[in-house]
Amino acid sequence: MCLAIPMQVVALDGGSDETLDPQVALVESDGVRKAIRLEMADRLPTVGEYVIIHAGFAIRTLTAEEAEYNLELMRKMVDMLDPDGGPAGAVR
Amino acid sequence: MPQVISIQPVTRIEGQARIDIHLDDAGQVADARLAIDALRGFEQFVIGRPAEEIPRIVSRICGICPWMHHLAAAKAIDCCFAATPPPAGQLLRELCHVLAHIHDKILHFFFLAAPDFIFEPNSDYSVRNLMGLVQRQPELAAEVVRMRQLGLAMLERIAGKATHPVAAVVGGFAKPMTEQERQGLLADGRVLLDFACRALDAAKKQVFVRFAEEETALGAIRTGFLGTVDDQGNLRFYQGRLRLMRPGGDTIDFAPSDYDRYLAERTEPWSTAKMVYARAWNEGFSLDLEAPRGVYRVNTLARINVCDRIATPLAQAELEAFRARFGRPAQGALLAHWARLIELVYACERVLELLADQRIAEPLVRTPAEPRAGRGCGQVEAPRGTLIHDFTTDDNGCIVRANLIVGTTHNIAPMNMSVHRAASTLIDGGRVDAALLNRIEMAVRAYDP
Repeated sequence: MCLAIPMQVVALDGGSDETLDPQVALVESDGVRKAIRLEMADRLPTVGEYVIIHAGFAIRTLTAEEAEYNLELMRKMVDMLDPDGGPAGAVR
Repeated sequence: MPQVISIQPVTRIEGQARIDIHLDDAGQVADARLAIDALRGFEQFVIGRPAEEIPRIVSRICGICPWMHHLAAAKAIDCCFAATPPPAGQLLRELCHVLAHIHDKILHFFFLAAPDFIFEPNSDYSVRNLMGLVQRQPELAAEVVRMRQLGLAMLERIAGKATHPVAAVVGGFAKPMTEQERQGLLADGRVLLDFACRALDAAKKQVFVRFAEEETALGAIRTGFLGTVDDQGNLRFYQGRLRLMRPGGDTIDFAPSDYDRYLAERTEPWSTAKMVYARAWNEGFSLDLEAPRGVYRVNTLARINVCDRIATPLAQAELEAFRARFGRPAQGALLAHWARLIELVYACERVLELLADQRIAEPLVRTPAEPRAGRGCGQVEAPRGTLIHDFTTDDNGCIVRANLIVGTTHNIAPMNMSVHRAASTLIDGGRVDAALLNRIEMAVRAYDP
């Protein structure tokens, strides 16, 4: 099943034209910055907030507080895994 | 010499899916595999927790489809505690479920799938993506965004403004709907239905015309199907019996709580994700392209195939036209996109049907429930397929056993077959380029994993 790992927005980019240059959020993963489209999000994030990404689109924006709660749940879930349950990280 | 070509991550699908194509000495496809991320540990994580917390926790962890998990868990815990929601509670839950389907289908079809067909598969990916669609059809793109936002806004009016759904509670729903809200939502529901019908008409002209050619290029697989129907065989998303269809069309129906008698789970050494196959067929499991055993598909095409009919008129007319053209069951993998838009029409009609039922605005939305020992199986049709939550509680109402089967899990076996078939059909003499790899990804995207 698919995890919805919240990704923190480190910067916002674009926004000069609603259609041709819409605002995108930059998120960072393993040191790589990636632009995420926001058309499908429930609301635009601010820098420091988090987005849940589906297939390259942000589908939901979370406050830092909401995201940290979710991440804490996921961390606890990883801790529950037995050592033979698979590689660290609960995923894959 | 033999080599392995990896596509990772698959560009426009969920998670960290990876495709490995194994070529032999002559550059022909020896095997092809799709490995997909699987959440591990959720079943252990919930052990010992109060069952009534589960619908709220699961929607935070499985946040791609929060409403689907929220409602499947709520249905399961109802059963554990022997609680039956009153009519308004059931209707409100189903309304939220159908609205969540609507905005997921709009996202998938227009933003992820349609660009494959509106643009040539060998055109540059940067042109072929959504931005290309926005530049070519700005009005359509803007309307798509507006309609998805409308669906979300309707959901908020019913269930409250919550990032993670909390409105389904054990025994029913958290808050009743007023008559005024019902009238307002009916008007918005008609706007969504009008859009869905126009979207399907436009897709027939601009998108589906390419399917025959693309299906030939990708090659075919032949599998069974699983979906949900009511007692009369009508398509259902929220409640009903499971129907398992053999590749030839024979069906068996069973109660969702009996899923483990009809389906079986297994793991393969090359994938961490579980796979599910049809135990009821007594033929074991094999991904052999010419003679697969136990393999079935779920989600849009599967549901459209297993149902005898659709209980709403516009979607039923579309189903009849689809069947007249592609037969039953239709096997073409790309037809899942067409089925998705028929389901979008059904979902919009169902919104109007649910809102037309006066009982939805009754004040009694919840029946009291006491924690107790029991077993409950909650099943819904999620956009990605049949979702099953199975929980057992102790005398204090805490979880002692949990098992989840999510939509994509059912589809891992047929997705592997589709990838293998597409790679074998397209790759000759080891020649591979970006357009060819995109075509292989298209076969995966049809499943909306």
